[in-house]
Amino acid sequence: MSLRVIGANLVVSLKTFSREKAAMFFTIAFPIILILVFGTIFLNQDNGSFDLHVQDLDQTNSSAQLVKTLELNGKFKITTVEPAINATQYAKDKKVNLVLVIPSGYEKALVRRLGLVGGVPNAAFRDPNASVTVTYIYDASASSTSTKIQILRSGFAVVNQGMSGQPPFIRAAETSMLTKKYRFIEFFVPGIIAMSVMTSSLSGAVNMNAELRQTGVIRKLSTTPITRTDWILSNILYQFILAVISTMAILVVSYAVFSVRLQIDAWLFVFIVLAVFAFGGIGMILTRVANEAESAAAAANFIMYPMMFLSGSFFPLEMMPGFLQTIARILPLYYVNEGLRASMVFADNTAALHYSALIGVFATVVFVLGINTTKWEESK
Amino acid sequence: MTTEPEHAIDVENLTKRYGDLLAVNDISFNVRTGEVFAFLGPNGAGKTTTVEIIETIRTPTSGTVRLLGMDVTTRKRDIVPRIGVLPQGFSSFDRITVRETIQYYARLFCCRNTDVDGLIELANLKDKSQEQFKNLSGGLKQRLGIALALVNDPEVVFLDEPTTGLDPRARREVWEVLLSLKKKGKTVFLTTHYMEEAELLADTVAIISKGKIIAMGSPDQLIERNANYLVLTLKTIDGAPFEIIKRMGFEPVHDNHRNIKVRVEHTDDLQKILNAMKDAGASPLSVDVRKPNLESVFLKLTGEALREGSVEGVLD
Repeated sequence: MSLRVIGANLVVSLKTFSREKAAMFFTIAFPIILILVFGTIFLNQDNGSFDLHVQDLDQTNSSAQLVKTLELNGKFKITTVEPAINATQYAKDKKVNLVLVIPSGYEKALVRRLGLVGGVPNAAFRDPNASVTVTYIYDASASSTSTKIQILRSGFAVVNQGMSGQPPFIRAAETSMLTKKYRFIEFFVPGIIAMSVMTSSLSGAVNMNAELRQTGVIRKLSTTPITRTDWILSNILYQFILAVISTMAILVVSYAVFSVRLQIDAWLFVFIVLAVFAFGGIGMILTRVANEAESAAAAANFIMYPMMFLSGSFFPLEMMPGFLQTIARILPLYYVNEGLRASMVFADNTAALHYSALIGVFATVVFVLGINTTKWEESK
Repeated sequence: MTTEPEHAIDVENLTKRYGDLLAVNDISFNVRTGEVFAFLGPNGAGKTTTVEIIETIRTPTSGTVRLLGMDVTTRKRDIVPRIGVLPQGFSSFDRITVRETIQYYARLFCCRNTDVDGLIELANLKDKSQEQFKNLSGGLKQRLGIALALVNDPEVVFLDEPTTGLDPRARREVWEVLLSLKKKGKTVFLTTHYMEEAELLADTVAIISKGKIIAMGSPDQLIERNANYLVLTLKTIDGAPFEIIKRMGFEPVHDNHRNIKVRVEHTDDLQKILNAMKDAGASPLSVDVRKPNLESVFLKLTGEALREGSVEGVLD
């Protein structure tokens, strides 16, 4: 092994990278675009805030109080609809998927129900049959409508139950498994890091070996003092540098745009190193199995794309049918995803150690196989 | 004090098989230190296989090859720093400039004092030193490849088909670089299927066909030995001279341009033919006399052309 040779190779690789716009795009811009697109899509879900248009036909203090209560629980951002407007037409015109209409007579009914006399409840005047009907004008085809209606119903159920004067029978206690509240984007970022490390090291290994072999560069190199070990080590080092660059880019954007809160520690580097070895190893094996550069690149895509979608990089495993979940658990990328989430999201060192050990074993086996299958001399 | 061995390369009974295919069939030869040695043969004759075995990047099936006195199968580490190679179909990193590429290969050989500018000048690439490899023409790429083969100031330089696929002008420009290399007194092992290239550059030519060396010597010796005749080409007005020459016992033929071609063994015969035509009042419009070249030698020895379409106008 020669550090001089490895250094020379690294310089050539980095210069090539800096001059190759497509490589720059796929290493840096592509994961950032994914983060921005998915992060924005799921931003609403993270905030738990929906738009709600409310038409208050009662225009009393009590009805205003109800609207305020809806706003205060944080689930809704309220837009007021003028009482004079036809709410259905308004919903159509403004493409609003839900308008809640509070009927006129709301306050009167409330007063009768509670038996308020001069603002003070008086049991003698209470009318248990007094009620109001609120109307939902909604578009059933909109995905968020049913969620909004459900939130409203459960809110109204609490109000109704409170008015019954009886204590509730079933109460719920909520304990989050997480020490703090996490948002979707914070689960997504480690997945994107794992995905970009995989794509850059796997296709990087294929390019380095298959393409340069096919064009004859490796034949020339094999007549110089550079050894196969120097070559492989310098490539791995280069892939590691690229992985760190793309991870930094992803993290900077995630912090700047979405203010994510993630734990960045040595585990991140451990998982990047292991992923580079594992996927670099797979790339080297593919290069040997598929003799031509084009078929090696196609084989790399054939492995990478299903793995990306099946291993839970983009969405949780629970969303997939059982057999796909089983498949996911045999994919190396799944363990990189879970490992990164364990360390970055949950700060769970035990789980991170567990996943890193699994990927470590896999990476060792694949990388050793990769080294042994990489042809250097024209040995035939 | 050590003296340079007489032979830079010694090949004894070298055989290389690929399954059923016998690529190199029990060949033996040697290359003297300081000479330009050309391996001349058509595609698939075994040239590249042989040269790659000598360069240590392939292993022989049997036989021994010694390069600078060292066995190529066991001493790769010692041999590689002392040789320079332009492989067949040479290519390099697309996005790296000419100068950077030379610097990179120099680093691989640990040549801190490599004269990068000198190599750029030798390969006549001064104007292109900042150009990326992918933007170079075929001839420029080959010239860079030759410069790279020299970064470690090697004792033996291997050039595997340095001008294949180049247009005539680019080929001539590469030859200029090779001639300046020859002047430096390096031992050069050249493989080619262009006989002009072998004739121009080589001190010794080995003709290889179907894995066997079928003739070896200096270009002049080979022609002397195998094609010791002259070819007379006559441009005439009518067909009369053809009959005159035929009656004299020669075997004239018409070439594609309706010229008469006659093969003669001695210069005396030339005189006889021209006199006979003069006497018959049928003097030719023009006369051309040529010695055969290596192409003719190859054709005579193997009965096949070095390259497709290369025998036009050649009399066998």
